[in-house]
Amino acid sequence: MPAAFSGNRLRLLLCLSLSFSLSGGSPADPTMTTQDVNKSQANFLTKMQAGLNESSPEHMMATQTVNQQTQGSPSDHLTLGHNISRPGVSGTSVEKNITLDRGTRIELSCRLDNKYSHLKSLQVTWKRGNETVRHINKTETSWSIQLRISDNSKLGSYSCTVKGEEEISAIFHLQVPKIEGKEKPIVSYEGDTAVMICKSFGYTPIAWTWYMTNGSEQIAINDTLLANKYVIHRISANVTHMKILKLTKEDNGVYWCEAAFELGKSKGKLKLKVLSFMVPLKPFLAIVAEVVILVTIIFLYEMYSKKKEKSAEAEKEFDQIEQLKSEESNGLENSSARHRKI
Amino acid sequence: MSPSVPSDLGYVPPDGGWGWAVVFGASISVGFAYTFPKAFTIYFKELQAVYSISYSQIAWITSIMCATTYGGGPISSILVNRYGSRPVVIFGGLLCGIGMVSAAFCTSILQLYICVGFITGFGLALNLQPSVIIIGKYFLKRRPIANGLAMAGSPVMLCTLAPLNQFLFDNFGWRGSFLILGAILLNCCVAGALFRPIGPATASVKTQMAEEGKGALKEEVTEDAMEMSSPTNVPMENKTEEEGGKDCCEKINQYLDFSLFKHRGFLIYLIGNVLMFLGFFAPIVFLAPYAKHIGIDEYSAAFLLSILAIVDMIARPTTGIIANSKWVRPRIQYFFSFSIAFNGTCHLLCPLASGYTGLVVYSIFFGLAFGMVCAMLFETLMDLVGAARFTSAVGLVTIAECCTILLGPPIGGTLIDTFGDYKYMFIKCGAVMVLAGTFLFIMNYYNYRMLAKEEKERKDHAGVGTRQGEMQYSSKTFN
Repeated sequence: MPAAFSGNRLRLLLCLSLSFSLSGGSPADPTMTTQDVNKSQANFLTKMQAGLNESSPEHMMATQTVNQQTQGSPSDHLTLGHNISRPGVSGTSVEKNITLDRGTRIELSCRLDNKYSHLKSLQVTWKRGNETVRHINKTETSWSIQLRISDNSKLGSYSCTVKGEEEISAIFHLQVPKIEGKEKPIVSYEGDTAVMICKSFGYTPIAWTWYMTNGSEQIAINDTLLANKYVIHRISANVTHMKILKLTKEDNGVYWCEAAFELGKSKGKLKLKVLSFMVPLKPFLAIVAEVVILVTIIFLYEMYSKKKEKSAEAEKEFDQIEQLKSEESNGLENSSARHRKI
Repeated sequence: MSPSVPSDLGYVPPDGGWGWAVVFGASISVGFAYTFPKAFTIYFKELQAVYSISYSQIAWITSIMCATTYGGGPISSILVNRYGSRPVVIFGGLLCGIGMVSAAFCTSILQLYICVGFITGFGLALNLQPSVIIIGKYFLKRRPIANGLAMAGSPVMLCTLAPLNQFLFDNFGWRGSFLILGAILLNCCVAGALFRPIGPATASVKTQMAEEGKGALKEEVTEDAMEMSSPTNVPMENKTEEEGGKDCCEKINQYLDFSLFKHRGFLIYLIGNVLMFLGFFAPIVFLAPYAKHIGIDEYSAAFLLSILAIVDMIARPTTGIIANSKWVRPRIQYFFSFSIAFNGTCHLLCPLASGYTGLVVYSIFFGLAFGMVCAMLFETLMDLVGAARFTSAVGLVTIAECCTILLGPPIGGTLIDTFGDYKYMFIKCGAVMVLAGTFLFIMNYYNYRMLAKEEKERKDHAGVGTRQGEMQYSSKTFN
């Protein structure tokens, strides 16, 4: 990156604060804050705020986007800072993920921090891909758009680009809730039962479907048809269980759980590994053999050292008996001497 | 008790030699007994899913295991009194192995309760008590060091078992892991094999010959040796052979010494420890959840426990060495009460810790205090009741502690749920332990004074007795 600085070049610091608000049915006021939203939406909002704190790999993407757009411009270094929405993090990230599971109205706004309100002649464009969004609501410091998200086609990445002396953009990613599968494979044994669980965090799907992978195809699992093999249970609104009975080696592979939301579908990946019982048996027998060997060694060593002790003691005993005999004869003399004295 | 007072074992413990191999074996046994329930919690999530049960139902497994390990204490003591440490530990190891191997083939949660909870728990009980008992038989002068080293097996084993369990689970699933864990637990048999029997039977032969070789008067030498050795030797096996008809109470006493309940030192220890265990384990159980509660991520929270384990590992042998020094050993009970109170103070100060660094500092001090208390837990009991009666004492103490150990974490959990704040749990644990420490300090001060008084009286009586004996002796010879 050709980042050459000279003393006269201006380093522009733009602070963007990204905010959005939800509206029920009335036209949105650009300055409306979250306090005006009704309860269910407020809960929705707090969940979103929580969700917004996740760090995404799109950090890299954001800088890439920025770099791509600024490549043509004559400026040098741009630093983007966040304030309110991401406390403590300053730097490169200008993206936000917004999770939606049902149709709603949403307002996205790009707001300039008060520090830079002095900047004039700023042009803001809102885009989705190549499509430009019209109807931008403008205020002194913010530019926002209202969207009605009713189906999957409206989801995507919306970006606001601020063109002044430099160009900066911020991106909102509107997406369906993600389903987490399991990264580590589930290990089970032939003839045993395996249980696979998929959870949706915070959002209730309309329906769950399970797929298994055959080669490169994904085949839906019909549990009524194969009731003695697959049992699918919806434990609670957000959790689904699939039990695979009487496992065989063929059941090895990748499985998908798909959650259907109003606005689209989302998949989670799970891996199943079926082992034969010989696999853990080998380490088991190895450890048992080690135990038996160690115990035998310890007992043999003990018998050996006892033998050594016995032979050493036998010698000692012999010497002591000799000593006693000699002392006895001395003692007899002494006691008889005492008797005589008295 | 100063180290110069002879033991009541009837022989002089070697204080080294094979004793260090015994310490190594004891650390393995003790390590498995204390850490196996904790390391087992890794399997909970999977077992919950497989058997479709709630967390509290699955947590019963470790509760049953802990309860059986501590509750099986008296049975352990009786068996050791009868057969000695070695066969009991080997049998215990086999039981653990059988328990876990059968658990690998379980099809219901009830079977898991029995296999993992009862059978393995009882096997661990048969491992824990005999290991602690045999240290008292092999060491006297260096007993605190030996105890500290043996108890250090617990954090070492925790650091190895926890990641090992995770590795086994990732590669073999829960059934395969249980099978392999069964084999690993069989290593307790190896520890048991190291527990070579030692006792007055083996030692008295040597003392007899030594006395013969000394040569005072010829006939009286052997007779005196026999008379002296039988009253002072208190092996229970000999008594059964000599005395035939005894009444019921004496027979029970011979296997499990209930007369300990009249022993002042034992009662002090029992009350103090039972009180202490109410607040001993709860902070460890709730440290990671508390860390997550104040916003620390999962891995850093787990790292706190690792810090605790590492500090604990170093603290235990160090405490053993300090406790063995000539300044501390005569007043070891004070050192023990101080460490309990120190532990309590740490908990009381924990709510003041803010952020991750505060919790790290707390973990370090907690690890230090925890190690100090654990290292001296059995040493102080041995110090109070003596090595001969320790066998029964440890059984009775563990079954009494069983209740409070099991009650501690649930009470803490209830406090957290009621108030929604962890600080009340820490305050409760801290207060209970400071109280226990102070109680032990005061009562042991009283006990030391009474012991000194009794010692003085005994010496005066002995002085009178020897003078009388001398007169008898001279009259004999004149005959």
